[in-house]
Amino acid sequence: MEKGQLTPEEKSLLDSMEEAIIALDESQAVAVAEKVLSSGIDPKAAIRYAIANAAVAVGEKFEAGEYFLPQLVISGDLMDVVTKILERNIPQTETEKKKIIVIGTVQGDVHSIGKNIVATMLKSVGFHVVDLGVDVTSATFIEKAKDLKADMIALSSLLTTTMPYQKEVIDDLVSMGLRDRFKVMIGGGPVTKAYADTIRADGYGRDAIEAVEDAKRLLLAEG
Amino acid sequence: MRLTVSEILLRSKEGPIIEEKQFDLSIFKKTQELKKKYEIRYDPEHPIDVTGSLADRVFQAGRELFLDIGAYCTTTRRAIKVTEKELDEEIAACPEEITLGQGQELIRMVHRSVEGNEEPVVVAGIQTTPFSDENMMFTIYRLCAQDRCVDGIWGGILLKIDGQHEVIAGTPSEIYQYCKTIAILRRAIEAAGRPGLITISNAPTSPATIAMFDEKDGLRRSDYIESTGMSEMKVAYDDLNRSAYGLAHGVPIHGTHSSVIGGFSAIPEGAAMVSVAASLQLVAIHKAVCFRCGAVDSRIKSRVTRGQLWVAGTAIQGLSRNTKLIVDGSIGDHPAAGPGTKQYLYESAAGHIVSTVMGAHSTEGTRKYVVGNTCNFGTPLESRWMGEVCKAAAGMDRKQAEKIIKYLLNKYESHLKDAPDGDTFEHLYDQRTLEPVSEYKRIYDEVKAELHQLGLNFRN
Repeated sequence: MEKGQLTPEEKSLLDSMEEAIIALDESQAVAVAEKVLSSGIDPKAAIRYAIANAAVAVGEKFEAGEYFLPQLVISGDLMDVVTKILERNIPQTETEKKKIIVIGTVQGDVHSIGKNIVATMLKSVGFHVVDLGVDVTSATFIEKAKDLKADMIALSSLLTTTMPYQKEVIDDLVSMGLRDRFKVMIGGGPVTKAYADTIRADGYGRDAIEAVEDAKRLLLAEG
Repeated sequence: MRLTVSEILLRSKEGPIIEEKQFDLSIFKKTQELKKKYEIRYDPEHPIDVTGSLADRVFQAGRELFLDIGAYCTTTRRAIKVTEKELDEEIAACPEEITLGQGQELIRMVHRSVEGNEEPVVVAGIQTTPFSDENMMFTIYRLCAQDRCVDGIWGGILLKIDGQHEVIAGTPSEIYQYCKTIAILRRAIEAAGRPGLITISNAPTSPATIAMFDEKDGLRRSDYIESTGMSEMKVAYDDLNRSAYGLAHGVPIHGTHSSVIGGFSAIPEGAAMVSVAASLQLVAIHKAVCFRCGAVDSRIKSRVTRGQLWVAGTAIQGLSRNTKLIVDGSIGDHPAAGPGTKQYLYESAAGHIVSTVMGAHSTEGTRKYVVGNTCNFGTPLESRWMGEVCKAAAGMDRKQAEKIIKYLLNKYESHLKDAPDGDTFEHLYDQRTLEPVSEYKRIYDEVKAELHQLGLNFRN
């Protein structure tokens, strides 16, 4: 079902759900989601359009400096809540499988803000993001990525003395014969594209916006 | 009577359990509420609060924020809280003056007042950027230490140990490297004829930081130990390890924390409250006797954006006016532009003028935002600049400071995202005479003359 095929009432309902998410109005978003569910609108189309549009709009507000990290987190949670409501009418076998990204700040490094922004923005554009926090060992990254059947491991480092741990994860993946199983993206203050190339990372983000674009390139382009 | 480390640890184990995300969001919700309650509004047209009334309200709001949500202990996943009475006692028990350094280099670090004439303590030296080798590190630090307008030097890091082994945090290489480099710094200050000079260094982990203390070849009791609060309003046991060492061995504890514009405090008003709240956290929980009250911007790699100058400056002013605490500002220590450029000097000056005029010292070294592993990415001339500007700004009034800040912002504000990279020591200093190359000296003198024209009274 294309958005153009919706009746004016259905379109209005999806628009108001989208607006409620953008406005971070949880009670309104939940109430409209319940209405969408009972209206007979294809829930997959509702997710595809209303939530995807809301994610884009929130991202634009972030880029424009109108929204900040808290609004990204709140809107991400709200999109999860609304999606879960709409998925009640989708058979388990038909729910869209999201690409999974395991993210964290590497061992020895406790800087979290940049990693949090990247994690939240990745989530807002539709990835299933598992944030392992800070000071995460290579073994933990790999173990979690295996357990979750993740598609990507994203590694943040803010110190020149912890950047080698980004390389360690990649080296460990190679040693374990797992390198081809996960895309690896790196970032953080002192990290450069040249360093990413040197350690053979697949992706690199100079900032959160670039990181999201690179994740999309790496995970969504392949279908 | 101050809360003991044991009491803090107990609270970290028995305080309210809270999910980290919920704590983060509570910063957002509470600062939004306090912004309305205290009528706090950031006006970009006025990067400095020239009356102090806004700074007073920011102080009250930050204090309420800290008392309401406490600090989040990432080790135990609990909030550490203190009561209003305890906080007042903590503030009252903090010294108004400490002494640092030894012998002829012994100096008093005092509570500074807004627009105060008290001499700001300046600890310069190049932080963060790695040095290519031990000789280069020694040479640059010796030259930094020879400059009489700095009171102390920050230690740096070597790219590799013995030119071949990588330095990795949390491994023995970290301890070995930091001990080695602080010994080089000690030799450098002795060679400069200033053996009693303050030396400061801070490693990623507490074992390496603590390992640097050695009266003969390392950090001394007359220096300070850093205990870092994680952004925003968080603390880990690794931070408290440093505090415990400082308390046990009589080393002054210097706390440091940065609020994040665009982080969970979101807007500049929120970040200013967090800067105050986290400063109180450093006093009450980390047991700091002096602390850096800073701000970063999650989008721009410079610490002297218009918003950051307002955030850090207002928070410092609020703390200076409402307490007798010893505040460190160091706002100008992370320019977007690199060494050897006019923009570096403009950015650095803006931050250090705000720090000084608002009532702070500047003890966090010189550096630019590090990208990559470019070695020797700094020179002694940036240390001199930091010292000259801080000392010249002492006693300046806020209105004059605002005039200069607006002039400086006009010079660099539109170039923060495409700032010039600058150059390395090898290119900015004549390697034979160890003097700045003529072009860099010319840039330095021109910017100095510009600021002198605007009313900055340099001593030399």
